[in-house]
Amino acid sequence: MAGLKNADNFAKGETFNAGLLKWVLLMVGGGAAVLFFIIYAATGGGDDPSVFHRGMAYSWLFGVTYFLTLAVGGIFWTLLHNATNSGWGTVVRRLMENLGSVVIVMFALSLPLLFGGFRDALWEWFPIRATVLEEAKSHAEHELNDYRAELSVRIEAATKRLNEIKKENEAAMATASDNQKLYLKSEITAAQAKLNEVKAEEGSDEAMKAHLADEHFKHANTGLYKKRGYLNEGFWYIRFVFYVIALFSIIFVLRGWSIKQDQSGDPKYFRRMRRAACGFLPLFATAWTFLVFDWLMGLDYTWFSTMWGVYLFAGAALNSMAFLIILLTVLRRAGYLKEVITMEHYHLMGKLLLAFTIFWAYIAFSQFFLIWYANITEETKFYLTRNTAYWNTHAILFLVIGHFFVPFAILLIQGLKKNPMLLSAVAAWSLVMHFCDIYWIIIPERGPSLTNGEEMFVLGNFFTDILAWVAVAGIFGFGIMHFLGKGSLYPCRDPRLDESLNVVN
Amino acid sequence: MSTTATSTKQPFGYVAEFESASDLYHAAEKVRDAGFKRWDVHTPFPVHGMDHAMGMKKSWLSAVVLGGGLTGFLTAFTLEFFTQVNLYPTVVQGKPTNLNTVPAFFPVMFELTILLSAFATLFGLLLFLLLPRWNHPLFESELFKKFSDDGFVLVIEAKDPKFRVEKTKEFLESIGATAVEAVEA
Repeated sequence: MAGLKNADNFAKGETFNAGLLKWVLLMVGGGAAVLFFIIYAATGGGDDPSVFHRGMAYSWLFGVTYFLTLAVGGIFWTLLHNATNSGWGTVVRRLMENLGSVVIVMFALSLPLLFGGFRDALWEWFPIRATVLEEAKSHAEHELNDYRAELSVRIEAATKRLNEIKKENEAAMATASDNQKLYLKSEITAAQAKLNEVKAEEGSDEAMKAHLADEHFKHANTGLYKKRGYLNEGFWYIRFVFYVIALFSIIFVLRGWSIKQDQSGDPKYFRRMRRAACGFLPLFATAWTFLVFDWLMGLDYTWFSTMWGVYLFAGAALNSMAFLIILLTVLRRAGYLKEVITMEHYHLMGKLLLAFTIFWAYIAFSQFFLIWYANITEETKFYLTRNTAYWNTHAILFLVIGHFFVPFAILLIQGLKKNPMLLSAVAAWSLVMHFCDIYWIIIPERGPSLTNGEEMFVLGNFFTDILAWVAVAGIFGFGIMHFLGKGSLYPCRDPRLDESLNVVN
Repeated sequence: MSTTATSTKQPFGYVAEFESASDLYHAAEKVRDAGFKRWDVHTPFPVHGMDHAMGMKKSWLSAVVLGGGLTGFLTAFTLEFFTQVNLYPTVVQGKPTNLNTVPAFFPVMFELTILLSAFATLFGLLLFLLLPRWNHPLFESELFKKFSDDGFVLVIEAKDPKFRVEKTKEFLESIGATAVEAVEA
C-alpha cells in the first residue's frame, strides 16, 4: 500500500559491467584447463597408459557435470516461471535465463568426452563392445567354412528325413482313413518346413558371417547384446547432438523473446514464452533424463535405476537456486538491483531452497531405499561400491547429514530466509554438498573400472579432480559474466514487473 | 420487559466500515499506532501486508507445528526401534536388527511426522482462534455481515484497555470510517 513501486520507473532496466573480473575468471579457468590437458598429454603415451592418466577422464567429467547441473537448473527455473506465469519471479527471471544460457559453454567443455581416450576410460562399454565385435568378426571368419560344412550336413540330413517320411506316409495313405490322411500329410509338411528352415541359414558369405558374429556377441556378453539397440556408438553420438540442440534451443528461444520484450515492451512475447514453456517442459525432461543416463548411469553399463534422471534433476534444481541466491547477493553488494530486489524475494527463493532440499532428500532416499530393501543383485552394485570403505563415511557425513539434515533444520527458520548474508551462507553450504554429491556419483566408479576391481581409489587423481573443477568453474564464471553483460539485469518491460516489484508473502 | 432484557447486555465493541482496502490499511496503521491491542480487520479478500499494518508479530503456530512434528518423529522411532530391535528382534529380508536397519523405519517416521504436524496445525489453529463456539456477538451486527461481500470492516473490542465509549467512536470516525456501529454482547 504505502510506497508502492511503479513499474514505469523501472522500465529502463539496469546494465551490468563485469569489467576485468570476466577476463580474470577466463584466465583462471583457461589456465587450469591448459594445465590439466598438459598433464594429461604428459602422462600419456605408450600402448598401456597409466591408471592416473586414464583416471583424469573422470576428473573432467566431474567438473563438467557439476556446472552443467547448475546451468540446466537455470533452464528449469526459466521454464517453470514462464509455464506457471509466476508474478513474483519476474525480476529474477533474467538471472535464471543467463544461468541457463551457460549450458552451451558447458557442452563446449564436454567435447573432450567424445573422443577415444576420455570416452573409453569413462564408459567401459565402448571398448568392451568394440572388443566383442572384433572377436565376433574374427570368429565368424574362422568359423565360416566349418559352418558351411556343418550346414550342408544338416541340409542333407533334413532332405533325407523328408524323403523317408514322404515315402512311408504316401505308402500308408493307401489304407488310411480321412483323419489319418490329414495327420500323415501334416507330418510331411513339418519335415518340409524343417528343411526350408535349415536352408534359410544358407546364404551369401556376408550374411552367414553376420549371423555367426551376432550369435557370438549374444553369448559373449548377453547384457550388452540385449542393450545393443541403445548402447551403440552411432546412437550415442546422435543422442549427444540431440541433448545439445534440445537444451540450448529451449533457453536460446526463451531468453531471446525475453530480451526482445525489453526493447519493444510488446506483451505478445510474454504470452509466447508462457505457451512455449509448457511445450518445452517434456522436451527438457527427456533430454536431461537421457543425458544423465548416458553420462552418469552409463559409467557402469550393467547397472540401472529408473529414478536416476529425477535424482540428478533434484540436485540440479536445488543447487542452481542456491547459485542464484549467491549471484543475487553478489550483484547487490556490487550495487546492482538494489531497488528491484527486496527481502521478500529472498524469502521466496529461500522457501524454494528449502522445498528442493526436501525434494532431493526424498528422491535420493527413495532410490536408495528401494534398491537396499529389494536387494536384487543387478541393482545393488551401485550402493555396494559406495557403501564400502571411505565412501560409506562420505555418504553419511556429506549426503545424509550435510546435504539434508543440516540445511533442512536451518532453513526452517523464517527470519534467516529474509537475511541475504545468512541465506547465501546456507546456499554456499548447499553448493559444497552438491560437490560431494556429484563426486560420490562419479568418482567411486574410477578405481574399480580402471583397475579391474583391484583398487577402490586412485588417490593421485584427487588433485586432478580439483584442477578440472577449477578449470570448468573459471570458464563457467566467464560464461555467466558474459551473458549478464548482455541486456538488462531484469526483464524491465514485462507486464508482471509491477506485481513482482511489490511482492509481499 | 425490553429494558430488563437489554440491561443485562454489555458493550462488545465498535464495528467500523471503510471505503476501500487501501483506506482500511491506513486505518489499521493508525489503530496500531494508537496502541489498541484487542481489535481485528475483516475483508472480502486477503490484503497483502495487512499483518504488517496491524503490527502483528509472528504467529506461535509454527512452534506448535514443530512440536507436533517432533512428537510424531520420536513416537515412530521409539515404537519401531523398541519393538523391532529391543523387545523382539525381527529379521526381515536378511536385514540386521540394529541401528543399521534404520532406513527401513524411515517411511513410518516420515508419515507420523507429517500426520502429527498436520494435526498440530489444525488443532493448534482451533485453539488459538477459540473455536469451535456456538455464536459470536459480531453476528448481530448488520455492518459486519458486509465483510463477506463488499465491506472492509474494522472491529475494536470493548475489552481493550484503551477502549472508551465516546472517544473510540470519535477516533474511528476521525480515521475515515464511513459508518460506525456499536455491538452488544
